Parts: sequence; C-alpha cells; structure tokens
Amino acid sequence: MDCSISIRNLIKDFGSTRVLKGLDLNISAGRFVTLLGPSGCGKTTLLRSVAGISDPTSGEIWLGHRRIDGVAPEKRNFGMVFQTYALFPHMSIERNVAFGLEMRRVAKPDIARRVAAALDLVGLGQHARRLPRQLSGGQQQRVALARAIVIEPNVLLFDEPLSNLDAKLRDSLREDLRTLQQKLGITSIYVTHDQTEAMALADEIVVMKDGEIVERGTPVDLYRRPAFRFTAEFLGMTNVIDAEVRAGECRLPWGAVRPVENPDERNVEGIAIRPEDLSIESTDGEADGVIEQSMFMGAATHYWISVGGKTLRSIATGGHTAVLDNGQKVKLTAPPSLHLLRSFQPSPGAVS
Amino acid sequence: MSVSTHNRRTQLWVGCSLYLYLAITLFLPLAVIAMWAFYDPKVGWFPPNIVPRSFSVSAWREVLSDRQILPSAMLSLFVSTVVTVLTGLLAFPTAWALAQFPFKLKRAVEVFVLAPLIVPGIVVAVSLGEVFFSFGLSGTVLGVILVQTIGTLPLMIRILTATLEGIPKELILAARTLGASQRTAVRRIALPLAWPGFFAAGLLNFIASFEEFEKSFMVGAPQVQTLAVRLWSYLGGAVLVLPTAAVVTFILLVPMLVIFFIAERMLKEDVMASGLGKL
Repeated sequence: MDCSISIRNLIKDFGSTRVLKGLDLNISAGRFVTLLGPSGCGKTTLLRSVAGISDPTSGEIWLGHRRIDGVAPEKRNFGMVFQTYALFPHMSIERNVAFGLEMRRVAKPDIARRVAAALDLVGLGQHARRLPRQLSGGQQQRVALARAIVIEPNVLLFDEPLSNLDAKLRDSLREDLRTLQQKLGITSIYVTHDQTEAMALADEIVVMKDGEIVERGTPVDLYRRPAFRFTAEFLGMTNVIDAEVRAGECRLPWGAVRPVENPDERNVEGIAIRPEDLSIESTDGEADGVIEQSMFMGAATHYWISVGGKTLRSIATGGHTAVLDNGQKVKLTAPPSLHLLRSFQPSPGAVS
Repeated sequence: MSVSTHNRRTQLWVGCSLYLYLAITLFLPLAVIAMWAFYDPKVGWFPPNIVPRSFSVSAWREVLSDRQILPSAMLSLFVSTVVTVLTGLLAFPTAWALAQFPFKLKRAVEVFVLAPLIVPGIVVAVSLGEVFFSFGLSGTVLGVILVQTIGTLPLMIRILTATLEGIPKELILAARTLGASQRTAVRRIALPLAWPGFFAAGLLNFIASFEEFEKSFMVGAPQVQTLAVRLWSYLGGAVLVLPTAAVVTFILLVPMLVIFFIAERMLKEDVMASGLGKL
C-alpha cells in the first residue's frame, strides 16, 4: 500500500478566522516530517485534519491514491500520539494497547501476542497490568506510542508528544522515537514548536507561519541555507546583519568582505551568520568589536559582542579556551561565504 | 494522590469545623426527632425538660397501623426509580451537547436550563397541576412521574454536564483514531469515566423524587399517593402533630440510608467524592 500523504489546497476556517490558508504538501512514504512553527501557525490543525478529527473547510487530503478527507477517523488507520498522552485512565496498560486491535476484531490470542510485542518494543513489558496513573509521564507516552503502532498504522501522527515531559526524559524519548521510526519505516508527521526536536527527529522540516508553509527542507539545508529570515531566526540562534551586496560580494559592518552564495535573491532582508560560525579572537590592537557579556554553558561559551552599535552573538566551543572578560577587544572572523535571506511575504489574498 | 501542603493545625481546625457542621445540621435534628418519635403522649414533654421523662412507641403504632403505608412505599420506590432513569435518559443528550460542543450563547443556554430551579416549588406545582389536569394526567401514576421529572431535570443536566466536561476530549479523539466509531468511543470510554458522576446524580435525583411532595400532591392526589404525600397527612392538618411527624421523618430517612449504604459499597470513597464534588 502506498502510504504517501498528499495535501492539496487545504483551507480551514474557525468562524471568520482562516487558520489554514490553502496548504499544499506532499510527504513521501516512510518519511519522518516535522511541522514546525510558533503557536497559532496552524500546524496542529493541519495534523488534526490529516487524522480526521478536524474537518477542513475545503481542499483535499490523499493517502496514496485514495482520497481520505471526509473519511471518518476510525476508517483511516492512522496512529496518533497526543501531547497529553490521552491514555484511557480506567483501563490497564495492556487494555489500552489492545483497544485498537479489539476495534479491528483481531482474534484474542493474536491481540495478546501483538500487545506484548508492542510493549516490549517500548520497554514496558513488565508494566502491562498497571493503570496509566501508576506510570511516569515518560512511561505513559511510551504506552501511547505502543498503542499507536500496534495497529500497524498507515501513518503515525504526533501532536507535540514530548512537550509535557521534563528535559532529560524528553531527550531520551526523542532518541527512542527516532530509532523506532527508522526501524518501522512508518510515514510520520510530527508537530512541534521546538526547533531542536524538529532537527533531531526529522528527515524533513516544514516551517509554518500564520497558516502557511514558509519553506521545507532537510534539517541541514534549512539550518545552513534558509531562504527566509523567519526560518533562520526560528531554527536556532542567528545573527541577522544588514547586507550591502555589490558584484556578488557582501561587506560586513566591521569591514570584512565575503562572497555571497545567492547574489540574485530578491526581497533581501539581510544575511545570516550563525553564532558558531562567527569566531572571535582577543586582540590588543585594532579591534572589530568589544565583548559585552559572556555566558559559560559548559560545552560552549556564548558571547555578546558590540560591533558598531549593534550586538552580535558568537559561540566558542572547546573547553580549553579561557572565558574572555567583558570589555575585551576582539577580532571577528566571518565564515568563508555568506547567505542572503529573503523576507517572507504572506500569500496575496490571505486573510489574517 | 495530592500532597497536603497545610500544616497540622489547619487540618485539625478544618476537621473539627466539619464535624461541628455535621453535628449541627445532621445529628442534632435527628436526635430531636428521635425523641419526639418515641415520647410518651400520656406523660408529655414540657419545658424545662431537655429529654422526655418517659418513652413509648404509640406514635409508631399509629402511623404503621395505616394499611396504605406499604403500598405507598412500593409506589414511591417505583415512581422514583422510573423518574431517575427517565431524567437520566432525557438529560444525557443535552448534557452531552453542552459539554462537547462549544457554541455561542452556551452560558445563556446553561442558565436557561437551570432557570426552573429559581421558581418556588409550590408555584410550579400549582400551575403544572392545572396543565396536567387539562391533559387528563391528573390522578395518574404517569402524571406523577412526568411532573417529578420536570422538577429533577435541571439539576440532572447540570451534574451530567459537569461530569462530561471533566472527560478530556483527547480521550474520545484517541479512541476514534484507534478505530472506534463515535458511538463506541462514548460507550467504551466516556460512559465508564462518567459513571461515578452519573451515579451521584442518580442518587440525588432518586432522593429528590422520593421526598417530593408539592408536585406529586397537586397532580397525583387523592388517587395516587406516594409515600411522601401519604405521610404528609400525618403532619396533622391545622395543628402539627409532632410525634407522628417525627415518625414520618424516620420512615422517609430509611430509603436514603439504604441508598447511601449501597453507594458506599459500590463506589470507592474517592470516586464518590469526585462525583459528588462536582455539584
């Protein structure tokens, strides 16, 4: 069965507010795609439309060659994991996981076998007979995951599944999630507002803003060469610097000149230099800037550097270098080539 | 599960206050009517005696010798059971809609649903008595059932709505994505979770119906006499006959005690409290 997802001109209105403004999105089978954007960008509405628990106002959703918008959620065979875990509190872990199989009228011995296998897969085999409230948040979300995959879904949908967990649990569950998805190869759509999570998990990231898709790409591409300023600033930290481009070269505020990778860009809204690409070196002589503040983070040290009245960020890695004092004069080294950013223009006619 | 953040003194204070409240509102009145029910009319009970000087069962003999008491009690049990089930069935769809779907004027609808509670019972009883008479329902068991249901609906809707609102919508949605139809999701997920609340609502409803007098009297009497109506006549017309009234009170208390005993058996303490706590 072809488990690719194709979304065509999807529109969703809540009253007079248009939360999805005609989205087009194709997701190939087996891919792990995250929908990333600030709250209110429509990512959850898009996910719920795919799941069938929110009805789009217009547009089409296809699963392979089958049109599924208008198909009841219980007929779609999609597994969904919710932010709040949504485990049935009155059923044991075992019965929670078995629920989807019971609905499919799977034979009893098969249910027992598949439930046990799914629980083992998420490492909770020994908790089968407990109630959800007797488990920690991380364990509950693992149960929810087991419950979603045990039905062998066409597509897995995740609605900010790690947001309710504390940092350490989040990291470990994130790794497990990635391993599991790669092992099972199920097409997955994952909604999050956490850029680290998006980059760590996804084959591809779809960046959304105000009910529209800004851009999509692999985590590396979007991080290194974002087309839009919005993406650059949303994915990680970045310095956006006003660019002065002439003959394919850009002059930076402290006088350095670097070639530009995409000189023909229109609607330019500056260039992006990631803090880790901007290296600093202390100097007693002619300086490009002065350290305003520093923050030691263990693996790296973050610096705020005043350059011609503006503040730029720089990250120095490597534990061997001493932390520079505030007021220290520094020379800056920009990366060998620069990348121009466009400003994101909402599509014409879109209601906000 | 929650950890108390209050210190012991606060706990002690709150605990004692609650017991004092219980003593004043429950045990003191019970003690007084118990004494009235068993006082001896030949000796009497006059100030400054706090306790009657002698006791007898004459009031009990008088009330219990009424051959109509048992049929009335059976009728009451039947009527209250039917009223409770009927109210539940009628209230559920409204409560479901109120809990499930956000819509404009929702608060207005809720107030509208509760509005009948504001009107004094006797006013409702008199006017409904007229209406039921014109429908030919006066003096019928059906009429009594219907008129009681009208009275118990608002509170039932309110409690069921609160109970259903307490069930996270994600649970229903999760069940749907796992292959359950809307109906199955309600049956397998929402109803089991709502059950303590429903049970509490049913209990209160049953009690309200069992001791309901005005409407049952207006519509049912004299042909149909529920226990409450029957016993009301022992209150004595022009003069309140306290001993028989006290006996009546005790008889009306019996089913309540039985129900709460059953309830305690059927529900764990915390579940019951969470159901009743939503009132």
